[in-house]
Amino acid sequence: MPRGRASLCGRAGVALIALLFSRAGAAQDAAEWLQRAATAARQQNYSGTLVYQHAGRAETSRLLHMVDEKGEHEKLVNLDGPAREVIRNNEQVRCYYPDAKIIRVEPRTYRNAFPSLLPQQLDTLAVYYFFRKAETARIAGVETQAVLFEPKDGMRYGHKLWADLNSGLLLKAQLLNERSVPIEQFAFTDIQIGIKLDRDTVRPTFTPPPADWQMRESLPGDVVQQDTGWTVKELPPGFAKVVEGYRTLRGKPVAHLVYSDGLVAVSVFVEPTPQAPQPIGLSQTGGINVYSRQLDDHLVTVLGETPGSTVRQIAYSVAHR
Amino acid sequence: MGNFQALPDGDSSARPTAQLTEVTAEEVSLLVDGELDADRVDRVCRGLRERAAVETWVCYHVIGDSLRGQCALRAGFSGRFSAQLDSEPTVLAPPRPRPAPAAVALAIAASVAAVGVVGWIALATMPVPPEAVATAQQAGAVRPADARRPVVNEYLLAHQEYSPTTAIQGVRPYLRAVAADDQDAPR
Repeated sequence: MPRGRASLCGRAGVALIALLFSRAGAAQDAAEWLQRAATAARQQNYSGTLVYQHAGRAETSRLLHMVDEKGEHEKLVNLDGPAREVIRNNEQVRCYYPDAKIIRVEPRTYRNAFPSLLPQQLDTLAVYYFFRKAETARIAGVETQAVLFEPKDGMRYGHKLWADLNSGLLLKAQLLNERSVPIEQFAFTDIQIGIKLDRDTVRPTFTPPPADWQMRESLPGDVVQQDTGWTVKELPPGFAKVVEGYRTLRGKPVAHLVYSDGLVAVSVFVEPTPQAPQPIGLSQTGGINVYSRQLDDHLVTVLGETPGSTVRQIAYSVAHR
Repeated sequence: MGNFQALPDGDSSARPTAQLTEVTAEEVSLLVDGELDADRVDRVCRGLRERAAVETWVCYHVIGDSLRGQCALRAGFSGRFSAQLDSEPTVLAPPRPRPAPAAVALAIAASVAAVGVVGWIALATMPVPPEAVATAQQAGAVRPADARRPVVNEYLLAHQEYSPTTAIQGVRPYLRAVAADDQDAPR
């Protein structure tokens, strides 16, 4: 082989290997970065003021997270409007609606897919998102490093995330639309990390709940993982099924299938058409898009942290096997 | 905008060619200012059926208003716009019989153009954060209805449990389901 050609092949080979490594490297970086954020969210004690912005509105809440020998305890209280709150004790999440006098209890039966799901989806992340470090910035008085997950197709939103340089805890998160404009943001305006917190600070405000409050509880037995017979025929690239089963909602079994691309998830719900007419079509709340449609005598609802076109596409390819 | 529906309804079979109906920005400007020659008014009005001309029409009105200090776009317009839109009741009724398609198309084109131009003008001239503009534009494209959908709130809670965002943010994403402005208090 002429020398020139060999060297050309050599260079192409080096470039190819470099490309493969850089992709693997990016995937590794992204995965490590997410792991660190997830670990910090689980293991650190922190207390701060959180501002949630979407659709031109801003709402403030107080967030406390502590870890003791029994595990994780987390409390989120709305400071604006009705004093609704969310209490999490390890797997169980309870939402208190004092304005409606209702408590909703959600068992976290399937321990969140993340980060155990990550190794399989490591490649997916790098295939469907560009991951890169952005600027360092001060958020709530803390030095942070910002990173960007930029989607390579129109099926997902971009994510900009700011994490504490020391602990890795996420202090600010934005969902970005196709023009890289934020459509939803969670950000601390003040935060204390690694502090000592009393167990009482993370107990529900309404303890015990007033007698006239209604408890709506999903029992662990109400969520059954099984084959539902439903499927999504044309799944957007990069999404893989993470769970499938039935859960009891409003006294009826509803098929629930969850698909994830490693960074976000899309849920598919299929239930017999409810008696009360439900709106169909697309709607949006913050970073969540919802698409509902009638499929024979069933109501199909698809929602997730993706653009409307993605949930719509999924809704139209739901079928019975 | 209501004026658009009152425009002369030209016979579509005898529709003038594009060349004849094409209107210049200057003609639109003259029309806005009421200075267009009477014999050109009909033709320019017909020309306003074209999207580009409608955009120019809306744009000149916005510019004119702002020059006269009657700007409808005070600071925070986008925020109020989306808040207002969100507070509109969701219409669940079946669609009613529609008026003549031509009038509807024109009205839609005009309002789409208005949102687009208004968004652009606001972005260019107002101290409104671009995010607010984006959300206002999105609000125009998507029904902000789910907050009133009792089923969706339960779905959202069920969904959140499995979303990777929950793993890196803890309960923060649950704010979507308990947000203060969320009218969907469970019932």
